[in-house]
Amino acid sequence: MALSRDEITEKVREALVDALGVDEDEVTPEARIGGDLGAESIDYLDIVFRLEKAFNIKIPRGDLFPDNILSSDEFVQDGKLTEKGLGELKARMPHADLSQFEQNPNVQDIADLFTVDMIVRYVESKLGGEEG
Amino acid sequence: MRWIWIDRFVEFDRGRRAAAVKCVSLAEEHLHDHVPGFPVHPPTLMIEGMAQTAGVLVGDVFDFKEKVVLAKVTRATFHRHVGPGDRLRFEAEVQGEVRHEGAAITGTITSNGDLVAEIELMFAHLDQSREPVEPGEGNFVFNEDFIRLLRMRQLRDLASNGPSPDA
Amino acid sequence: MKFYLVDHIQELAPPDRIVAVKNLTLAEEYLADHFPAYPVLPGVLMLEALVQTAAWLVRVATDFEKTLILLKEARNVRYGTFVRPGGRLVMEVTALDIGPDASRFKAIGLCDDKTAVQARLTLEHTNVADEDPAGPEIDASLRPFWRRRFALIGGPRALENGQPGA
Repeated sequence: MALSRDEITEKVREALVDALGVDEDEVTPEARIGGDLGAESIDYLDIVFRLEKAFNIKIPRGDLFPDNILSSDEFVQDGKLTEKGLGELKARMPHADLSQFEQNPNVQDIADLFTVDMIVRYVESKLGGEEG
Repeated sequence: MRWIWIDRFVEFDRGRRAAAVKCVSLAEEHLHDHVPGFPVHPPTLMIEGMAQTAGVLVGDVFDFKEKVVLAKVTRATFHRHVGPGDRLRFEAEVQGEVRHEGAAITGTITSNGDLVAEIELMFAHLDQSREPVEPGEGNFVFNEDFIRLLRMRQLRDLASNGPSPDA
Repeated sequence: MKFYLVDHIQELAPPDRIVAVKNLTLAEEYLADHFPAYPVLPGVLMLEALVQTAAWLVRVATDFEKTLILLKEARNVRYGTFVRPGGRLVMEVTALDIGPDASRFKAIGLCDDKTAVQARLTLEHTNVADEDPAGPEIDASLRPFWRRRFALIGGPRALENGQPGA
C-alpha cells in the first residue's frame, strides 16, 4: 500500500517522460524541470495533473510550483526575494533545498529549485512521508 | 473553407466528457489537395476536431467566459487513414478537472468503431498565458457563429437528456 | 483554401536539415473564423506546416520514392507566439532519422525570431498502391506532381545552394 521512495521516483519519472517527451535517462534526481528537461509554462500544469492521477493526490494551485510569490512587492524587490519573500518560499516549499538559492535569491532562479528530487520529496510528504 | 472541424455534438457530460461527429466529404476543398487522386483527411485537421470538441467541453465549465486556446498537443498518434464517406467520432475526456490555469484532455477518434487516433491535449486560458491580446469585444474564441453552428446553447439539453440517437 | 502550408524552401541540406517559410495573409479565408476580429494562424496549421516541411526533406532524401507521406505521431507540440496576417512562419526541421517507411524529426517554427511552435514528429511513408488496387496509376501521377510542386516552391534552387562550393 505505502510507496517506497524508489516507487515514487519511478512514477514521477514516468509522469515527466509523458509530459515533457524526454528520455527516461534524462530524468535524474538533480535534473531541473525547466533548465534541464525543457519544461515551459503549460508543462508545469501537465505535470501536476499527471502526478495527481498517478498518486491519487490533490495538488492545489501553487503548492508544488509556487508561482504567485512573484506578484507581491512584499516578497520581491529589484528582482530579488526579500526576507519576507524568502520566508514565504521556505514555508511553501519545505521539501526544497534552498541553501544555495538563499545566498543570492534572484527571482529568475526560483525555477532552478524545481528538480526531480524536489517533486519526489513533495509527493512523499503528501503521501505521509514514507522512508525509502 | 470554414474553420470548423466537427459537425455536431452527440454526447455531453459537463466538465467530464463529450463526443462529437464529423462527416468527411469530397465537397471539402482540402481533400482535393491532400492528396490529388487519393483524398486523405489530414491528421492535423483531426487534431483540430479533437481540440474543438474538447475546447467546448472545457469552455463550458466557465460558461464560455474564458478564451480557451490550444496550448499543447502532448501526443497525437494516428492508426489509419480516413477519407470521403467516413464519419468520425471524437471522444474527449477531462483529466482531473478543468482549472483556471488550464485543462488536460485525453481523446480518441474512431470511424465505424475502428480506432483512428489517440490524442492528448492541453488548453490554457488566453488572458492568463502567452502574450497579451489587444483589448477587443468579448470572447472571440467562442464567438456567435461558432456557438450557433455547433448549437452550443443546446448542449445543456444534451447533457440532461442523454446521447442523441445518432451518437 | 489550398492545403499547401509551405510557400518557399529557403535552405535544404538533405538528409539532415530543411528551412522553409509559410506566409500568412488575410486572403486566407478560414481566418475569418479563427478568430473573428483576431485572425491568427491556427495551431494545427503551424503543425501542418512543420509536417509538410519535413515531408519535403523526406522526398528529396528518398528521391520522391513514396507518394504518401503523412503524420504518424506528433509529440510535445507546444505553442508560443501567435502568427498574424502579414507575418510569416519560418519552419526549421532537423531529421533524427529517415528510413524507407518512416522518419523522425525535431521541428521548430519561428515568427519574428520568437518560437511559435515546436514539435517532435514521426512521419510514415507509403504508396497508394499499398492500400488501393487503383494505386499504381495514382502513384504514377503523384510522383511527377510532387516534383512539380517541389519546383514551385524553390526546391531545386535551395538544393543547388546547399551543395558544397555553391
